[in-house]
Amino acid sequence: MTSPLEARSLSLNREGNNVLDGVSFTVAEGEIFALLGGNGAGKSTTLLAFLGFLEPLEGEVLVNGTSVHGDVASARSAIAYLPEAAALYGHMTAYENLDYFLHLAGKPASRDGLDAALDRVALPEEARSRRLQSYSKGMRQKTAIALALLRETPIMLLDEPTSGLDPVAIDEFHDLVKTLAQGGQTILMVTHDVYGACQVADRVGLLRHGQLVGSFSAGNGKRIDTETVHAAFAEREVA
Amino acid sequence: MMLGNLTREIRFLARDRGALFWLALALILSVVAVSFGVAEVRDQRDTIATLVEEDAADRANALEGQEEWGSAAYYAFHLTYAPPSEFAFAAMGQRDSSPWKHRVRMLALEGQIHEADTKNADFGLVGRFDFAFLAASVAPLLLILLLYDLRASERTARRHDLLVATAGASWQLWFPRAFVRMIMLTLLLLLPLWIGALMEGTALSAIGQASFVLVGALLIWWLIVELVSRINASPSILLTSLIGLWLALAIVVPALSKAAIEANNPVPDGGEILLLQRETVNDAWDLPKEATMTPFVEEYPEWREYATIEGPWAWKWYYAFQQVGDQTVAPLVGQYRQARLSRDRQAGLLALLSPTSFVERAFEKLAGTDAAAMIAYEDAVRDFHAELRAFHYPMLIKEEPFDPNVLQRLPAYVPSATGD
Ligand SMILES: Nc1ncnc2c1ncn2[C@@H]1O[C@H](COP(=O)(O)OP(=O)(O)OP(=O)(O)O)[C@@H](O)[C@H]1O
Ligand SMILES: [Mg+2]
Repeated sequence: MTSPLEARSLSLNREGNNVLDGVSFTVAEGEIFALLGGNGAGKSTTLLAFLGFLEPLEGEVLVNGTSVHGDVASARSAIAYLPEAAALYGHMTAYENLDYFLHLAGKPASRDGLDAALDRVALPEEARSRRLQSYSKGMRQKTAIALALLRETPIMLLDEPTSGLDPVAIDEFHDLVKTLAQGGQTILMVTHDVYGACQVADRVGLLRHGQLVGSFSAGNGKRIDTETVHAAFAEREVA
Repeated sequence: MMLGNLTREIRFLARDRGALFWLALALILSVVAVSFGVAEVRDQRDTIATLVEEDAADRANALEGQEEWGSAAYYAFHLTYAPPSEFAFAAMGQRDSSPWKHRVRMLALEGQIHEADTKNADFGLVGRFDFAFLAASVAPLLLILLLYDLRASERTARRHDLLVATAGASWQLWFPRAFVRMIMLTLLLLLPLWIGALMEGTALSAIGQASFVLVGALLIWWLIVELVSRINASPSILLTSLIGLWLALAIVVPALSKAAIEANNPVPDGGEILLLQRETVNDAWDLPKEATMTPFVEEYPEWREYATIEGPWAWKWYYAFQQVGDQTVAPLVGQYRQARLSRDRQAGLLALLSPTSFVERAFEKLAGTDAAAMIAYEDAVRDFHAELRAFHYPMLIKEEPFDPNVLQRLPAYVPSATGD
């Protein structure tokens, strides 16, 4: 069976610098894979490669078994992407933003549909008809997450999804992601948050200087051990 | 799918205040340009109507009590004019720099034609603010302002990747977004033009061609903006580059072309013609009569037997040296005419280098306000003057007895239909 997401010996340069160096991993259907790493490790770059924005120098990235480079459009249509510090349109309301982006995806939703998604991310109702420029950082992030939900794609690429969220919202978000995975969605998320990653992910990959240097799996119904991952993370960062 | 893309981007545009501002400005400028044009054209028509009314009365007045063919011809002025076409409101063109009305009489003609040259209106480098100027020079700038940072602003706002990833293919986003702006700009510019055309009764073919030319030019500018804005640079760098290109294509290239063409085709000054003719005519008074009559009969062999002037004065001698005045400047006039025509031809070729010049020329051609139309008007004045001579010469030269009734049949100037 082909995996929804696969990186095969992925190496990639950005402006002449080697940013990813032989990264290989797969994410299975319904799996949550968290990519951990320090600043500049290459996490966001990995997501952009899956979206076909950056071309591999060597190796390849595959979405649903097909090389992204060969068919960018179908890769993108299978993926909901939550960018790092997602910026929606400040001069538009949450409804208008969602409406615009969903039309752009060719997948418009009814007002009820929008409300259902905004309920799931707990964006206050009174805010929904307000322009995003009056939102807090977390409210904007919630709106962007709602957009990713509404895409109803088989795959989600989430870049720092919990940044800006308060602890309660983070917990709710983790529950939400688990529910989505149980529903069959494949989730690749990128984060610095070791604890959060261990809470939610089925597997954690550790990325350092563009190389995948560790992998930790949950097993036997147990969560990944935060201590172990944190030790690995810290050790690698110091080294 | 395409329709969905368009309605999405129309709604998006409706919330983009910056874009709405430029679009509103386009509409306002177009309304202003068209109103100015229509007002100017109506003003010119009123002027002509008044002059036409006065013309017959003035002439009747001047002819009243005349007892000689010579003095009747001397005092009778005839109005000639080129009425503005039904599309002239959109492009005043050479009407601003070449005279379109004269009062001519039987005296040496070229001086009368070129006298008006010396009091030309001068609108400087940019010219009059008419629709042609708006369409040729300002519209591209508005298009640049509407399109230059479509991509770059989204990059700066860190929205680019999300937008493109959501759209799937990049063109699904940028093409409709730019297309909607382009269409709105075109429509807002053209709407007042179409209303002006309705008011003026412009031929459908003229307005159709003008609209086509504007759309074509804007498409070229769109292509330019599109190519430049693919560069991964900041919005301000893109804007600077595009304004630079606009300056080059809309201002510098036309100005340089004009300078090069003018240097390449020296045109004798209209004033020179005037001066030479005056000198010729004035000198004739002091020359032996044969010096005038010989060249005259060379032109008109049919009057050879009447060409001997006895006595110190004769009207036919007077009109002969007027005629010779025209003959003397004829080479200069021919040069002037040819040079203007070849300037115009070369300008037509060089206009292919600049969409701005191309649009301006196309509009002037459609409006009958290009150099060719103005030269055609001058030629019509010459033809009319020749008719006047043909009418008067038999009586003048054969010195027939004066009969005021004959003057009822004086030729009348009929303007040719313009704009074609
Ligand atoms: N737009 C860009 N152009 C050129 N190089 C870039 C660009 N964005 C990132 N890089 C480089 O690529 C490398 C990886 O960056 P990336 O954004 O993938 O890191 P990251 O792991 O997501 O870091 P962070 O946790 O800070 O988001 C870094 O060395 C960075 O300097
Ligand atoms: Mg990042």
